[in-house]
Amino acid sequence: MSDEGASPAARCRALTKIYGEGDTRVVALDAVDIDVAPGTFTAIMGPSGSGKSTLMHCLAGLDTATSGDVYIGDVRITGLSDRALTRVRRDSVGFVFQSFNLVPTLTAMENITLPLDIAGAPVDEAWLTTVIDAVGLADRLDHRPSELSGGQQQRVACARALASKPAIVFADEPTGNLDSQSGAEVLSLLRRSVDEFDQTIVMVTHDAAAASHADQVVFLADGRVVGSLHDPTAEVILARIGGLSSPQDSH
Amino acid sequence: MFRVAVRSLLAHRLRFTLTVLTVALGVAFIAGTNIFTGSLRGAFDALVSQPRADVTVRAGASDGGALQATFPANLVNEIAALPAAASAVGLVGADGAYVLGPDGKPVGVEGPPARGRSWVDDPAISAVTIVSGRPPAGPAEVALLQSTAETAAVNVGSRIRIDTPAAGVREFTVSGLVTRGLSGGLGGTLTVFDLATAQQVLTEPGTVTAILVTARSGVSQQELADEVAALAPEASRVETADQSRDEVVQRIQEGFAFFNTFLLAFGVIALFVSTFLIFNTFSMLVAQRSRELALLRAVGASRAQVSFAVLLEAVIVGVLAAVIGLLGGLAVSQLLRWVIAALGADLPGAPLRLEPSTIALALGASLVVTVASALLPARRASAIPPVAAMREGAAPSPRSLRRVTITGACLLIAATIPAVLALRLAESDGERAAQLTGVAAVLALVGVLALTPALARPVLGLLGSAMRGRIVGRMASANAVRNPRRTAATASALTVGLALMTAVSVLGSSARASVEDVVDTTIGADFILLGPGFRPFTTDVFQSVKDLPGASVVTYVRTIPVSIDDAQSPVTGVDPRVVTEVLDIPMATGSVQDLALGAAIVDTELARTLRVAEGDSVSGTFVNGEGSLRIIGTFEPAGPVRGFITTLPTVDAIGTLTRDTAIYIALQPGVSPATVRQDLASRLAAYPSIDIQDQADIKRDINGQFDVLFGLVYALLGLSVIVAFLGIVNTLSLSVVERTREVGLVRAVGMSRAQVRRMVTLEALLLAALGTLLGLALGIAFGMLLQRVLAPQGISVLAIPATQLAVFAALALVGGLAAALWPAWRAGRMPVLTAIAQM
Ligand SMILES: Nc1ncnc2c1ncn2[C@@H]1O[C@H](COP(=O)(O)OP(=O)(O)O)[C@@H](O)[C@H]1O
Ligand SMILES: [Mg+2]
Repeated sequence: MSDEGASPAARCRALTKIYGEGDTRVVALDAVDIDVAPGTFTAIMGPSGSGKSTLMHCLAGLDTATSGDVYIGDVRITGLSDRALTRVRRDSVGFVFQSFNLVPTLTAMENITLPLDIAGAPVDEAWLTTVIDAVGLADRLDHRPSELSGGQQQRVACARALASKPAIVFADEPTGNLDSQSGAEVLSLLRRSVDEFDQTIVMVTHDAAAASHADQVVFLADGRVVGSLHDPTAEVILARIGGLSSPQDSH
Repeated sequence: MFRVAVRSLLAHRLRFTLTVLTVALGVAFIAGTNIFTGSLRGAFDALVSQPRADVTVRAGASDGGALQATFPANLVNEIAALPAAASAVGLVGADGAYVLGPDGKPVGVEGPPARGRSWVDDPAISAVTIVSGRPPAGPAEVALLQSTAETAAVNVGSRIRIDTPAAGVREFTVSGLVTRGLSGGLGGTLTVFDLATAQQVLTEPGTVTAILVTARSGVSQQELADEVAALAPEASRVETADQSRDEVVQRIQEGFAFFNTFLLAFGVIALFVSTFLIFNTFSMLVAQRSRELALLRAVGASRAQVSFAVLLEAVIVGVLAAVIGLLGGLAVSQLLRWVIAALGADLPGAPLRLEPSTIALALGASLVVTVASALLPARRASAIPPVAAMREGAAPSPRSLRRVTITGACLLIAATIPAVLALRLAESDGERAAQLTGVAAVLALVGVLALTPALARPVLGLLGSAMRGRIVGRMASANAVRNPRRTAATASALTVGLALMTAVSVLGSSARASVEDVVDTTIGADFILLGPGFRPFTTDVFQSVKDLPGASVVTYVRTIPVSIDDAQSPVTGVDPRVVTEVLDIPMATGSVQDLALGAAIVDTELARTLRVAEGDSVSGTFVNGEGSLRIIGTFEPAGPVRGFITTLPTVDAIGTLTRDTAIYIALQPGVSPATVRQDLASRLAAYPSIDIQDQADIKRDINGQFDVLFGLVYALLGLSVIVAFLGIVNTLSLSVVERTREVGLVRAVGMSRAQVRRMVTLEALLLAALGTLLGLALGIAFGMLLQRVLAPQGISVLAIPATQLAVFAALALVGGLAAALWPAWRAGRMPVLTAIAQM
């Protein structure tokens, strides 16, 4: 856990995202305030359509907010040009998506170093070896994604997210398409990267078991933060989801 | 199903616009030539109503303008007195009346004749009619063909100088402008004088070259012709109006038939190239829509219905392309008319019209191309199982390249058989050898096209290794080999066009090198004096240069035609004592020095055709009647002089007018050619149409003609290359759409727009490079084979034009870059989130 004094790895203030106009107008995020402390594992939970993915996209600089501010580290990314945003994503953010994480024409190794190669940055071999050891894929590095199982693909994606030592890693339902065994492997990998490498991670999930790996769980409903939990267990989370109708902080 | 097809077309508007356009390009060419031919038919109808004398009698054999035979003018009165004749008018016409421009040089006579003739004041029998001003009258007036006046930039009332065949340079006032019907021939210039002036400046006073006879009423053309024939000298031609009309029609039709075939060939090539594009478009759309098509199957559509839906799209594309192609065809045919008009021919009154046959042709060509190219994709579409609708991202499994590769290899091996045969037959049967070369080329081309998918990976791997180091390059080359068939089909379109251009280029540079070689080895002269378009000129020229200081030899040659068994060959008279000092005549048998009156040597090729050998006598029709030549030797037809070579007195004995064809000048050692050239120029000031050429000029002149021809071929082949580039645009933009998610992913992890654009551009470059490489290789092979096969025809030296081929390659790569612009822009603009959100 991090000390409260350090500046957040990412934060947003009054983040609002509205899709469409008139009849089709949807408020996906409604004045959301969130702080992600460095070196922590945050899970974002909520029912389908509650705005989890939208929140993550806005935090990660993949989507632009309708209003409000988003910071990655000390950089305010709202209002940045596409070019600058791209640079932020490349240098400060790592991603793990639910599926289709890897470029099919590249090998596992090439996929892992992809952000570094794109940046033309030198590869820190020692760190790379550490990451590859951590994901346990040393013998699969020359394989193409189509030759890897779903779990292996997600672990390669995690390695890619970690390889460039980003300020923060975003994962959108990284275990959503995996069987429970593979899912558990990926989750413990994420957990270890927080514990051992001091990585900051934000993970979207609707699975209480997955969320229980996090240090903090933020609950979303209808685009609003409706509560949060620290050091949760699956049982507490499940109980909390059951009681979401009466939003209240659990402290 | 119709609705499904239309919806799909609408959903992929851009793609189908591209496809339609490429097919339409080829169709426009084919339709254009067809429409043009149709309007020519209209022109022929107009020709029938054109004024023409009932019977025309011309002096001498037609000799291509080298010499003009004449009748005594009193023959006109004798013919007019015939019982069947109502009247007879004498006409004087000859080639070699050069209108001089302000620079003193002849205008507009690169090749076609500079015709001069007398005015005939009877609109019922002459196709030459005044359009402005009035007919020429008196010794100082001339009327000009409109296009001639335009070329010379003069008008009615202007004063111009004309270099005339019989009276040298004279000044005239333009009295009027004339037009001539189709019968007047194409191209060249036309000057019209009154009869007395025409006799003075074109032939001789008291002579005519043709007589136009009108029949008494109730007498048929044939009866009149018979009477005239009985009176006319032996070496003259008597023609009825019907006969000469048929002859003109036939002559023009033959001329245009070649022209048409030429243009059609390029249309067909462009269509062939567009088949690759259509094939790709449909294959990719079927692949993209496999889930949708599977869904159709799942809800009960039969396989046939699914294929039908795809083919229906092809039919719609075909029909649209035909419509646009027809409109384009009208433009093309109008363009052709302008070209013909610019050449100086009036095509009377036939409007451009779309005949049902043209529409059928355009539709047919368009549909055959589109439907045939969509057949395979349609079959593949119908093979998609309904269950694919339920599968996530149902990508059809890649099919093995084995069969197509083996077929390609077999074709390539098979191509060597006609190639070897062609080389064997080149010497003895040039025509058969050329046909076999064509067969070999087609087999090899199809073979390489079939091999391209298998070749794509290694070749692109090699090309891509240059940029392996960088991630963008690595991804681009990986993308290029992702679907070898698609890549191959895209590159193949370029291969076809470039192979043809390269072959033409190799042939062209070989022809140039051969010309230079021939000039170097067969012309010993330092200067050659020639008339425009190689036409003979007055002997006064020789008189003014024969005692040129610094010259060791000044000698002239005279060439006249001889007709043997209806085929014309040239007979050239030379001075056997000195000719070998200015011309290297490679003798096969006999010796030039043994030439004497009535003796001749013949080139080995003509000897073979005529089946004559040393010691034989050859008889034929000369300008003034029958005669014979005794063959005393044979020579290789390598140099500028071909056919028969004999002595000057022999030629003078069988010709009428004494005119020289060329004057050869050799210099004494140590004399400065530049000084002599100046001297020559001042001595020839009175003969502005005479060209003073040294060896370099000759080479440049001949090569200049090649340049025009090859330039035209390149321009027309450029059409198919453009189609190929449209194909690259198409393939790439479809690929980019297919890879939306991938682009989104790499953008998400930090690839910039510029990098994405570069990735797509590099892929385009790789596609272009693959097509270029194969095209160049194939084209060089074709060119080498062609050169070998044509070596007996004079293309004896092989020259690979490295610079030009490098330019082709560079242009192809630039084309690849240009083709990437739009797809790269699209890929760069692709919103990151849409890609992610699809997950
Ligand atoms: N591109 C879009 N256009 C319009 N509405 C959208 C778009 N993306 C998401 N939404 C809407 O925003 C809300 C939140 O969506 P999302 O963030 O994807 O929810 P979650 O990930 O929690 O399921 C939903 O009501 C969804 O329909
Ligand atoms: Mg979501």
